[in-house]
Amino acid sequence: MNPLDLIALVLVLIGALLCLTAAIGLLRFHDVPTRLHAATKPQVLGLILICVAIALATRSWHVVAFLSAVIIIQFATAPLSAHMVGRQAYRNGTIDERSLIADELADSKRTPPAAGG
Amino acid sequence: MTLLLTVIYIVFGIAALLTLWRIISGPSILDRAVASDVLMTLVMCVLGADMVVNQHTRTLPVLLIIAAVGVFGSISIARFVARRDNTDR
Repeated sequence: MNPLDLIALVLVLIGALLCLTAAIGLLRFHDVPTRLHAATKPQVLGLILICVAIALATRSWHVVAFLSAVIIIQFATAPLSAHMVGRQAYRNGTIDERSLIADELADSKRTPPAAGG
Repeated sequence: MTLLLTVIYIVFGIAALLTLWRIISGPSILDRAVASDVLMTLVMCVLGADMVVNQHTRTLPVLLIIAAVGVFGSISIARFVARRDNTDR
């Protein structure tokens, strides 16, 4: 078999291991921001590895163009949802206050009326 | 080769089961939102791995659509969740 296919499979394996670490982090960590920290690893890096693997396995520029769109969209949207969830977790109280070293939002903790919180 | 494929399948399966367990048992709805986000990423990774293993490109548009619209789920949950949901952590 082509060595590129083997490299692609190894990249897929690394991406799968990243997904596994995210799942273990989801189980082991104890509040929303720490779980968010574990959860955002495969969303970007794992998907990039898998997309590189697809490009190596198919070896066609059309696929590379498609995959770059996928990666750019994922880059744009993954921090968006993580930001929204993290902000709501802070306002919601689903956060371990003792684990915070610096709490810069403490003064503006009250949700503004139009924020939907 | 077959060993590598088996390891990949097992790792994906264990990751999906652990994430599913967090969706079922997560104390607050935000935990479930985060876990379902991870499960969605896992679906994208599995689709990509299927394309690598079976050497086809039929599910590329699915990958694009999931990447584009999957974000709205957790955003709308985070937007409309109550100030305090009734859970004691």
